[in-house]
Amino acid sequence: MNEFILQALNGLVVGLSLALVASGLALMFGVLDIVNFAHGDFYMLGGYVLWWTLPKTHNFVVSVVLAGLVVGVGGLIMLLLLVRPLLDRALTSTVLATLGLSLILQQWATRTFGGDAKPVEAPLSAHVNIGSVQYPVYSLIIIVVSAAILAGAFFYLKYAKWGIWLRAVAQNRSMAAVLGVPVPRVYWLAFAASSALAGIGGSLLAPSSGVYPTVGNDVILNAFVVVVAGGMGNFMGAALIAVLLGEIESLGTITYGSISLSPVAVRLLAIAVVIVLLMVRSRRQSALARL
Amino acid sequence: MFELRGLHAYYGKSHIVQGISLEVSAGEAVGLVGRNGVGKTTTLKAIIGLLRQTRGQILFDKREVSKLPTHRRAALGLGYVPEERAVFPDMSVEENIRIGALLQSGGDQQRCLDGAYALFPILRERREQLAGTLSGGQQKMLSLARGLALRPRLLLVDEPSEGLMPMFVAHVSEALAHAAESGNAILLVDASYELLRRVCARLYVMDRGLITGVYRPEEFASPDALAAAYLGAAAAAPAPAAEATRA
Repeated sequence: MNEFILQALNGLVVGLSLALVASGLALMFGVLDIVNFAHGDFYMLGGYVLWWTLPKTHNFVVSVVLAGLVVGVGGLIMLLLLVRPLLDRALTSTVLATLGLSLILQQWATRTFGGDAKPVEAPLSAHVNIGSVQYPVYSLIIIVVSAAILAGAFFYLKYAKWGIWLRAVAQNRSMAAVLGVPVPRVYWLAFAASSALAGIGGSLLAPSSGVYPTVGNDVILNAFVVVVAGGMGNFMGAALIAVLLGEIESLGTITYGSISLSPVAVRLLAIAVVIVLLMVRSRRQSALARL
Repeated sequence: MFELRGLHAYYGKSHIVQGISLEVSAGEAVGLVGRNGVGKTTTLKAIIGLLRQTRGQILFDKREVSKLPTHRRAALGLGYVPEERAVFPDMSVEENIRIGALLQSGGDQQRCLDGAYALFPILRERREQLAGTLSGGQQKMLSLARGLALRPRLLLVDEPSEGLMPMFVAHVSEALAHAAESGNAILLVDASYELLRRVCARLYVMDRGLITGVYRPEEFASPDALAAAYLGAAAAAPAPAAEATRA
């Protein structure tokens, strides 16, 4: 039982942090029909901002907020300069542009910070007893903070003026403009919010993985799987699938009686679930509005 | 208040609207009639900015707006209700109305909602329902109610009677007429004789991308006489009102 609780909590940590990254990716696709291949690199930049600012601020929370702000504003500027002019062109144009941006950011990070993993210490080393198992408090904080950010984003999209406009633009860009919605500014918001979510995800997870130039690659692949399975453009769908995958990958490592799965088998199981979801559910591209 | 001067509009290389001029005064409802495919919808889309391949002048309060993006034109007071059911299918009925109303102050937002529900009470009953799950006619009502409730200074309405039951067409006629009487200008594209007669002060007849005449609705004694005017049977149509013909 203790093992089950432990792995369920691990699954929440993996799933909710993945949800932060994947929901930003889904937001971009929903509003702009863009698959942002540089999204994982915004995650990486979030980690570097934390690593760089932490010795100066001596405050983990402030550094995480800074990571969100810096990556949000930086992502906004980069995407405005690079992607905005390509919006009316074929999808491949933005795919190639964001892929190029990804390579540039990774090279820049390698040249600037080196290729080694930078360790980041968790702000709390305390553990709590869960049954007979000691569980890191920081992991619980990741669960709470990620869930709070996702819930906040959900309510923002559901009830706030700009959230409603984001969903409207995701469903029918032309009609939203006809009703007076400032569509270009909605794009700005999507660029900034999506990048900031990746930056916050990267900074929160930095103590677990360290920070290195390709750290985003490991995350972005899972995020793409999650976004496809959750429905392209479906913010909450992506978040829920991320948690589901996190739980499968964590709970799959438990030995049940004489049955145990190898890591490869667990991965295959997760992919099988995604395939089943794709086959069963009907997907609609503008699903941001299904909130 | 509103004027088109030599408007041309294109779809790719197709030259659809070939230099039309028309005027709509404040509080005036004007009809644009013609056969299918003569460029009526294209004209409305060019005015609101959904079609950017245009030439000529679009003047709103003497301001040239043809270079402005669609949302800026809407902010100036241009509204558009398209022919197709242009609702946001995965948003509730109330959210569909609120999208445009959110640009206004809190009190005006509520007035928009109340106005839309007063026009079609069934929308109030279904305000929490996803717009995409409404029937076709109800989606049309929602689109119309939303456009009217926002009270744009010039409302472009494309085929509002299309797909509606006759009892609702009469309802729409009254709503459009009331909007015009309240000071909102309307440019209406429709083929319904009753609707055009009830709402419009003048009718522009369009053929092959050009305005071919301007009439007063009362000049047409029957739907057939109106149809004859735009189907090209000139002999059956009255002579255009001399003072209104500018094309």
